[in-house]
Amino acid sequence: MHCKELESVLEAEGLGQLPKDARLHLATCGACQGLLADLNAIASAAKTIPAEMNPPERIWISLRAQLEAEGVIKEPVEAAEHSSWWQSFTALLRRRAFATASAGVVVVVLAVAVFVARIPHTPQAGAANNQPVTESPRAVPTQVVASVPSPTAPVVSLPSKGSAPSKVKELAPSPSESASFTLNQAELDVPNMQLAGNSQVDLALRQNLRTLNAFIAECELRLKENPQDELAREYLYTAYQQKADLLAAMMESGRGDN
Amino acid sequence: MQPTTKHRQSLSVWSAGLLLFAASSAIAASPEHQERHFTVQGHPVVVLQNVVNGRIEVKSWKNSEIVVSSTAAKDKVAIDMEQVGDRIDIAATSTVASGQPHEVEANFQLTVPEHTELQLKTQTGLIYVEQVTGDMKLESIAGDVHLKEVSGYIIVKTTGGSFVCTLCSGKLEFTSVSGNAQLLQPSFTNVNLMTTSGNILYDGDFSRTGIYTMKSGKGLVEVRFSGNDSFDLQAKTYSGVVDNQAAQFMQPEQHTSRHGNRFTRVLNRTVGLGFAKVEISTYSGTIRILKRD
Repeated sequence: MHCKELESVLEAEGLGQLPKDARLHLATCGACQGLLADLNAIASAAKTIPAEMNPPERIWISLRAQLEAEGVIKEPVEAAEHSSWWQSFTALLRRRAFATASAGVVVVVLAVAVFVARIPHTPQAGAANNQPVTESPRAVPTQVVASVPSPTAPVVSLPSKGSAPSKVKELAPSPSESASFTLNQAELDVPNMQLAGNSQVDLALRQNLRTLNAFIAECELRLKENPQDELAREYLYTAYQQKADLLAAMMESGRGDN
Repeated sequence: MQPTTKHRQSLSVWSAGLLLFAASSAIAASPEHQERHFTVQGHPVVVLQNVVNGRIEVKSWKNSEIVVSSTAAKDKVAIDMEQVGDRIDIAATSTVASGQPHEVEANFQLTVPEHTELQLKTQTGLIYVEQVTGDMKLESIAGDVHLKEVSGYIIVKTTGGSFVCTLCSGKLEFTSVSGNAQLLQPSFTNVNLMTTSGNILYDGDFSRTGIYTMKSGKGLVEVRFSGNDSFDLQAKTYSGVVDNQAAQFMQPEQHTSRHGNRFTRVLNRTVGLGFAKVEISTYSGTIRILKRD
């Protein structure tokens, strides 16, 4: 038996009991002994890994960015699955001829991702805020769990096509300001849209746009005061996403065709 | 002055004309019922785009056939249906060139095989689905979405419409700006709910391998769990209140080190052995945790 044949046997039979020929070859071949030792080591290590282990989100982001950069995938996987806010947003931009803003939007997307990734996790500063976490009815002591400084999130590098992955520039533009500006520009068309006025749909769209704007303003104010408030940032970005979806829906439904 | 015979005749003609006009208008405006049958095999897919307003109701049966019943004003709505293999595309569009096209209505009633994938979209009007086990994506602006005894990968997106899901299972994603979400007796293994100003109610068990995320910006998030449940809970809010009315059934969380920071109030607790993972957050809304009797 030769090395190639042994590899085939290992591939087919696994690391269990090997046939006699294979054992004879293994006894005399140092390379195959090394291969078998490696395979055994890998199998042992694999057994120590928990059955359910989700890799961090940043791994998927980096992986996706790398695959996109290499042209293996043409569009973000997530965008194909769901209508993400950027999908809606780009549709919106296409429809409303915001061509000049498109480049800026792309920058904003990257800036948002980068900005979020490079936010240092703040060390804990004791109990939070003004209102308590209440627990009733028993006398289990009310406890706001003390936070522990978590390791700084690694910088997500988004390599561009044909270039080596590079570190993110330290002075990224404020993504929330850019996104807010672009969305507000898109919203400028809303008052000119031909709305039915009394329909339930138009009323719902307008009311919800107001709701989102109020919430966005609240979150933006909060972030201006405390730029490191991750919860406010999380809600702000979700609200941006919803606003982009909402504006796209308003235009898709023909209201923007005036 | 007495009306002359000629005047009377003229009046009669005008009256008759008016009556005819009114009758013809009524006939034209009266909704037309239409029913189409499609034979399918395997896993059918139904895509319904109701660009006008209206209710969509979907129920299942054992037959390998899809029945689409629609009711719409003939002169105001065009309903197109097309079958390609096991895929049925239905579109209802307004034929009214001007005026108020969005006041136009088309209602649908679908009967489908149990394992049917659904993609339904409407502006207003209820979307109601019962006993369908395929994946579904349901979108509405102002209409509510009600699901009963459905399972699969379910995506629901509304702007202002609320969502009620009774006895549902599988995976669920719900997003809304101001709509509420109610999950009653659910058996989901994965839940992701997000509403900016609406409320969320989760009343049911948590699957042991499940992951549940519920977020509301300004609304109330209420979770009612059962005594048999086993989950790790993280409840966090910026300026809202965490009202834990089931503290005696919980222990400090033991499995992970998910903590808050100086901006956020966080409650970490374990119920039972902490199998499932439940994450609740609000920006300024209240979080209420209760145990069911």
